[in-house]
Amino acid sequence: MIRGLIFLLLLIPFIYLVLELFIFQRAIDPIKYIYTVTGATAITLLFFTTTLSLWFKKLIKYRRMIGLFGFFYAFLHMCNFFILDMNADLLFAFKETIDKPFIYLGMISFLLLFFMAATSTKKHFRKYRKYHKVLYIVLILTTIHFVMAQKSLSVSQYGYLSIMFVIAFYKIKNILVTKRT
Amino acid sequence: MQQLNPIDITPEILFNQRRSFLKLGAASIIASSTLMELMAKENLPLPNLTFKKDPNRDHLKLNTFKQITSYNNFYEFTTSKRGVKALAKDMNTEAWTITIDGLVEKPLTLDVEELMKKYALEERIYRFRCVEGWAMVVPWIGFELQKLIQDVKPLKSAKYVQFWTKYDEEMFPDQRRGIFATLTYPYTEGLRMDEALNPLTLLAVGLYGKTLENQNGAPIRLVVPWKYGFKSIKSIDKISFIEKQPLNTWQKENPKEFGFYANVNPEVDHPRWSQKTERVLGKFVKQRTLLFNGYEKEVGDMYREMDLRKEI
Repeated sequence: MIRGLIFLLLLIPFIYLVLELFIFQRAIDPIKYIYTVTGATAITLLFFTTTLSLWFKKLIKYRRMIGLFGFFYAFLHMCNFFILDMNADLLFAFKETIDKPFIYLGMISFLLLFFMAATSTKKHFRKYRKYHKVLYIVLILTTIHFVMAQKSLSVSQYGYLSIMFVIAFYKIKNILVTKRT
Repeated sequence: MQQLNPIDITPEILFNQRRSFLKLGAASIIASSTLMELMAKENLPLPNLTFKKDPNRDHLKLNTFKQITSYNNFYEFTTSKRGVKALAKDMNTEAWTITIDGLVEKPLTLDVEELMKKYALEERIYRFRCVEGWAMVVPWIGFELQKLIQDVKPLKSAKYVQFWTKYDEEMFPDQRRGIFATLTYPYTEGLRMDEALNPLTLLAVGLYGKTLENQNGAPIRLVVPWKYGFKSIKSIDKISFIEKQPLNTWQKENPKEFGFYANVNPEVDHPRWSQKTERVLGKFVKQRTLLFNGYEKEVGDMYREMDLRKEI
């Protein structure tokens, strides 16, 4: 029951995106719009999964689902890059990726997420669990990716960055405390 | 079976007339509804300017009024392209004057209303390309900047023209933010004298037959169609004729990524956004970007001597 509810909740950004693009057709620059919605959702969900242990302990058993949804949105983000932005031109996409730091940071993050998604089954997870800490690297890389994608930062983006720093601070504090005891 | 009375039978001629009448009725309903639908789709504003129409010889497909007025970069309000429209509503453009000074024989301060009466207005359907990779086609209405330049008579020493957007913290929320502001204000831009005198360079006061919406840079803005959008400065407050090349806002902000010339060039990539292709607003599929945004014939000569890979 709760699982189903969370599933639907996590699907809302996707439904919203499809409605805006194809039903209401309000997105004036569709490619940019898909980037923004999928990117923002992916980064929020991934970030959220790492903070569950700080305040939403009860939700920890749904962590895998939330994380997989984060991957799902990152996947849509990547599809938008490859199919719509690069016109599915493999060579051009590769050249652009190598050429622009902001794109290869995103690409590295996607590959790491792909690895985590692929090893998230019960069987694999036991073996690869310790490698799932690369999520922290993904978060750092995607934040740089996100900042670099802007022409200049707005107040809300500074807000987002400060929240990230506060959480990072508590995370590090937690790790230090558990190490000492 | 009941016998038919001849009086009940519709004469053939009437029967046929009735059919054609019905057909006519149906056709007229369809015609008016398609017309209505077309008008609704276009959602065009009521025109309030008198101007010479552009014959649109390149058969450019115009973006809708809604697209042009709902997706704007105007950092004085917000960096959100969708957010500008709502915030710009309160901007006051009444009794707006522009000052023209510097190295000119006849410096002047003019009311924009007067300016619009002084010069005959014409429509210019131009491609518009943003450095971020989006593009549109806009039916601007305005007059050539060169007409104004000829009237103020620049001195020989004037080599560049510098423009400023208004600085007014009451009007522009981002200007109030002090050190948290997105850019350093007032926003400024510049052109070399020959670029300013080019017949394509327009001072626009309207689009789609109507005076400019605030979010599009009311009441008067520059349009330089072969350069990236940020060169086409909005809501002009002051124009100065100067000797040395001025530093424009984006160049000051990030000199590695934005230059003085900012000519649309698919061969020179921005460090983050490829300039080879562009997304026309409203479209899912991208198209190739043209050198000088398709105006090479008109402006190419001005840059023959320059290395456009270095002088961005």
